Amino acid sequence: MTKKEVVKMVLDGKKPPYVPWDCKFTIEALEKMKAHYGHDVDVEALVENHFIKLGQSSGFKIDIGNNRKKDIFGTIWDMTHEKDIGNVEGLVLPEASLDGYEFPDPNDPILYAGIEEKIAANKDKFILYSIGFSLFERYWCLRGMENAFMDFMMYPDFVKELLGKIADFNIAVIKNVCERYPEVDGIYFGDDWGAQKKLMMGKEVWMEFLYPELKRMYANTKSYGKYQLIHSCGDIAEIIPELIEAGVNCINPFQPEVLDVDDIMNTYRGKASFHGGLSTQKTLPYGSVEDVEKETRHLLELGKEGSYIFCPSHATEGDTPIENIVAFINIIKAQKAAAGY
Amino acid sequence: MEELYKKLSDCIEFGKINKVSPYPPQMKDQDGADEITKQLLDGGASADDVLQKGLIIGMEKVGIKFRENQVFVPQVLMSAKAMDAAMKYLKPLFAASATARKGIFIIGTVEGDLHDIGKNLVAMMVEGNGYEVIDLGTDVKAEKFIEAADQNPGAVLGLSALLTTTMGNMEQITKAIKAHNANIKVCIGGAPVNEEFCVKIGADKYNPDPQGVVEFLNAMSA
Repeated sequence: MTKKEVVKMVLDGKKPPYVPWDCKFTIEALEKMKAHYGHDVDVEALVENHFIKLGQSSGFKIDIGNNRKKDIFGTIWDMTHEKDIGNVEGLVLPEASLDGYEFPDPNDPILYAGIEEKIAANKDKFILYSIGFSLFERYWCLRGMENAFMDFMMYPDFVKELLGKIADFNIAVIKNVCERYPEVDGIYFGDDWGAQKKLMMGKEVWMEFLYPELKRMYANTKSYGKYQLIHSCGDIAEIIPELIEAGVNCINPFQPEVLDVDDIMNTYRGKASFHGGLSTQKTLPYGSVEDVEKETRHLLELGKEGSYIFCPSHATEGDTPIENIVAFINIIKAQKAAAGY
Repeated sequence: MEELYKKLSDCIEFGKINKVSPYPPQMKDQDGADEITKQLLDGGASADDVLQKGLIIGMEKVGIKFRENQVFVPQVLMSAKAMDAAMKYLKPLFAASATARKGIFIIGTVEGDLHDIGKNLVAMMVEGNGYEVIDLGTDVKAEKFIEAADQNPGAVLGLSALLTTTMGNMEQITKAIKAHNANIKVCIGGAPVNEEFCVKIGADKYNPDPQGVVEFLNAMSA
């Protein structure tokens, strides 16, 4: 059985032979892993991830010098402090208006660069096309975060217009991906809505502004027969029913500090899957190896009946001791080997 | 005049900036914090009364509603904008008179961390509750916190961090501040921070929400 087949079993609500996983690491964490495993280590091969992601999770960016990158929407990213994604610098849309702004071309070759090669090299894996910053995050990257929040209140018509255009762009990209690359199994939408408690914008605003466009994007993905996996950090418990209703198959990162992992798994098992769960706010950076082993084993036990894909609840950060990284990698690989795979 | 104070506190609570602002819809075409503050001052109200009877009452309600998940970041930012509209008239009066605000609060996001929404929400609510706020911004080093504290004796410091990777800097900064002057009060906040961490690093108070900071400051200044 291939990794792709195991992931599909999980997403289809079936009991898999073992719990699959897909774990990501920040640049700083990868440096620690190289120091431990050897500088020529192939981390993807070492970890044996089950996904391969096409596209780019944080947007398509080109280097413009001075430690800055520019994405295809025109947003400038300062890479000085946050080296993986960067920090937005300046405003692309200082006013609540699209006058003079031109959306990127969904046929831009940069969006599809290298896809054939990646698919050919990873046919056994579950193949995802990743659309990061897929709605609200794209909005605030263009307008600035505080403006974005206040726009909901001050300029509701403009918010709907811009969100609609962002969704239109994504829908056009998904159409291209699905028509050009039938090997793609699903679309991965990233968009942070959650705070440490509840949604940043509140459920009422989320339902009025974001949900209609999310439903439109998800229905489009479903029309091509693809799975859809989403990522939103934070406490999004109150909108899980709506996400399932809209056709979401899997929810990441399943943060245990803000979500009741056991309760949610037991409530929604068979209706949606969850990807994540290992604490990156507490256990990984501050816990002992024993703590990491205990939490990892608990998650694998919770997921053995299905509806679960293991990973830390964010890309593992550089403040995680290497011993803790090694601990969870060893356990997830051992449970696969123990199942005879 | 009492009716105007009530209207002003409503403007802060519901985020009505000025007459032309379309938000909130139920207050369309009504005067906002801008116009009402001017009317109060023109009518002889003191800046201190406008602050105490209008802004603080409204902003305290916002803080409690935010804590209880009745309002969220968009509504709080609108309240902050309404407060700014009032403060533009009040700040020159505070600066020109001996009218004392309740105290000084110095806030910043710790070195290595550029996140500022949470910090800004705290700063807005603390200011709206009658304190002078000195916002040092993001990526703030220990020396800058210490320098600001030395320049403002009695001020309380607020340290913010969103990342586990910058919590270590929060610890170092707190220890540097306390080593410099153990009497400087330090409160901390941010998504990954908790009470246990507060005790571990020797900070004086952890607050899970902005209203908690206001209550801590009120208790300190009582």
